[in-house]
Amino acid sequence: MGLLDNESIPRRQMTLFFLIDKSGSMDGSKIGSVNDAIENVLPIIGEISDENPDAEIRVAALEFSTDTRWLYDEPKEGKDFIWQKVTAEGMTSLGEACRELNKKLSRSNGFMSSPSGCYAPAIILLSDGGPTDDFESGLAVLKNNSWFKSAIKIAIAIGDDADMEVLKQFTGSLEAVIKVHNIDALKKMIRIIAVTSSQIGSKSSSATDESKQKQVEEQITEAAKDVAGAESAAAPAPSKQDNYDEWD
Amino acid sequence: MQELKTGDKVNLTNGVQAKIVKELGRGGQGIVYLVDLGGKQMALKWYLKAPDNKFYKNLEENISKGSPSDAFLWPEYLTRKEKGSYGYIMKLRPQGYYEFGQYLLARRQFGSFEAMLNAAMKICEGFYKLHLSGLSYQDLNDGNFFIEPQTGDVLICDNDNVMPDGRKSGIMGKARYMAPEVVGGKAPDKYSDRFSLAVILFMLFFGNHPFEGSRVLACPCMTETFEKKFYGSEILFIYDDNKENRPVRGVHNNVLRRWPAMPKQLQDAFKEQFSKEILSAPDKRMIEKKWKGVIQSLRDTLVRCPKCGNETFVSDSAAPVCMNCGKLLDLSGKLVLGNGREILLTPNTTVYIDDDNNPDIKVIPVPGDKYPVQLQNVTKKNWVVETQSGKIKSIEPGACVPVRTGLKLSIGTLKFEIQ
Repeated sequence: MGLLDNESIPRRQMTLFFLIDKSGSMDGSKIGSVNDAIENVLPIIGEISDENPDAEIRVAALEFSTDTRWLYDEPKEGKDFIWQKVTAEGMTSLGEACRELNKKLSRSNGFMSSPSGCYAPAIILLSDGGPTDDFESGLAVLKNNSWFKSAIKIAIAIGDDADMEVLKQFTGSLEAVIKVHNIDALKKMIRIIAVTSSQIGSKSSSATDESKQKQVEEQITEAAKDVAGAESAAAPAPSKQDNYDEWD
Repeated sequence: MQELKTGDKVNLTNGVQAKIVKELGRGGQGIVYLVDLGGKQMALKWYLKAPDNKFYKNLEENISKGSPSDAFLWPEYLTRKEKGSYGYIMKLRPQGYYEFGQYLLARRQFGSFEAMLNAAMKICEGFYKLHLSGLSYQDLNDGNFFIEPQTGDVLICDNDNVMPDGRKSGIMGKARYMAPEVVGGKAPDKYSDRFSLAVILFMLFFGNHPFEGSRVLACPCMTETFEKKFYGSEILFIYDDNKENRPVRGVHNNVLRRWPAMPKQLQDAFKEQFSKEILSAPDKRMIEKKWKGVIQSLRDTLVRCPKCGNETFVSDSAAPVCMNCGKLLDLSGKLVLGNGREILLTPNTTVYIDDDNNPDIKVIPVPGDKYPVQLQNVTKKNWVVETQSGKIKSIEPGACVPVRTGLKLSIGTLKFEIQ
């Protein structure tokens, strides 16, 4: 090997987790949109990773209903992740999903054992309802996990039946919960959140004392303003009875 | 979010219209479009979210000041505030230039050490001129450079955060490239630019990050807290006297191979710049002019090995050894300047006299001639040669001077003796 020959610089791994509620109520266009949106965002994430000298971005996906299942048994690069369509049926075992995520947020036997080390992961939770199992004890386990503590955590609440309190508990703040009211908004927000979370580590920041979690929250809240049918759960939504047209 | 479409027209402040041809790429802040400007193709950077008026004013100022050097893809025209945002026009990136990241990812590599040194020189020259005009870049990182691999020519992009030194752009910078004091919360300035510049130069020469060794590698998860420690409060150079953060075999292979091969003056420059003392004293960091001097001294010792044909740095001209084939090599001679500067000569070596990237001398082999190695004038001006007997001769561009001990060669204002 000549002295000018280079090897790629070692890159830390950033794992992007999708936690997908595939309970019975997600059946139909909701789960169809989730499938479609993730399938379409994977090549974009692959590209972000490929061009990125700072981080290698890998994707892991956990589907949960009555049971839980990882789509692959290791995080994959966006370009190698062949999306297997998720079908909806059963209950909403979010507590069990938390325990399962906790197992994988670990270096030994988990997903966090990259030889060049990792960045804190990003976790995107999608749900349209409330847990049907013991969510609290599952979340309690997860909340002791250092990887989870440092992770960027964003939730997408699909429709009005999503349990906002549960999603707030999972992400740690209401600002990290985005509410979507239609299929188009769901697709757009999946893409925006996945891309924003993947890029955050390799962008210049405007303040060193602002956490990546806050930066992602601000960016997606801002982006949600341009997506009809999406809003930050923390933003005040006008009541249907009130009309503020004259103030426009 | 205000995206533009093909065919849209945006109005520039000078009254001209730019027509959108197509999207060229997008980043976090905005989209770059190919635009037609009265028949000329240019690039438009269009902000997705219009930054505030201060930012607009600053762009306006930079445009009227003009580019500090030809290294910059500088903003040339500003659009009016319209269509919910604004943008600026700059030159297009020419074909054959690749992002520095592509080099770090080993998708591209320099064609020669000569090109690598040219790239380093051009980067230093760019920031030298930028700082000289009272500006600071503020967000220097690996994403700002496009480099041509064969010539080492460099274009510096993303010049929209450039501000008069001392004025805050609001951008702190990118993790791993921010100076430790900026990681600690201080606003960026020309001194922090100089830290980031040294990091970029190190990565350009050695292909690894100067502060990522065993200690940083051992950290399982680079959280924000650890980032503040390893790139801020406890930053430690991989070749510091404190050996706790040395490069790791199998991971940091580029620097492990190249560090021992590169000349001592380069190693010393980085050891000093990344020492605890200088890291914590921003105003003592090396100025760009001095970096240019370091690069020039590397150039002076870079020759082509007559045995294996590869480029090599020669650290000891009394016993010159090729860093590739390991054999002793024959120097044809050297050019010696009054101040002690020595430029080593072998056939097929290119010589740079000054600190620009235009070659001045080609050392050419002339087999069978009485003087089998000669210096060809590849400048645009005549040289003057004085023989030992006092004869004066003018050497026109393209003409040659033999490498003969005792000849005195004047190139511009510099007077060399061939030894």
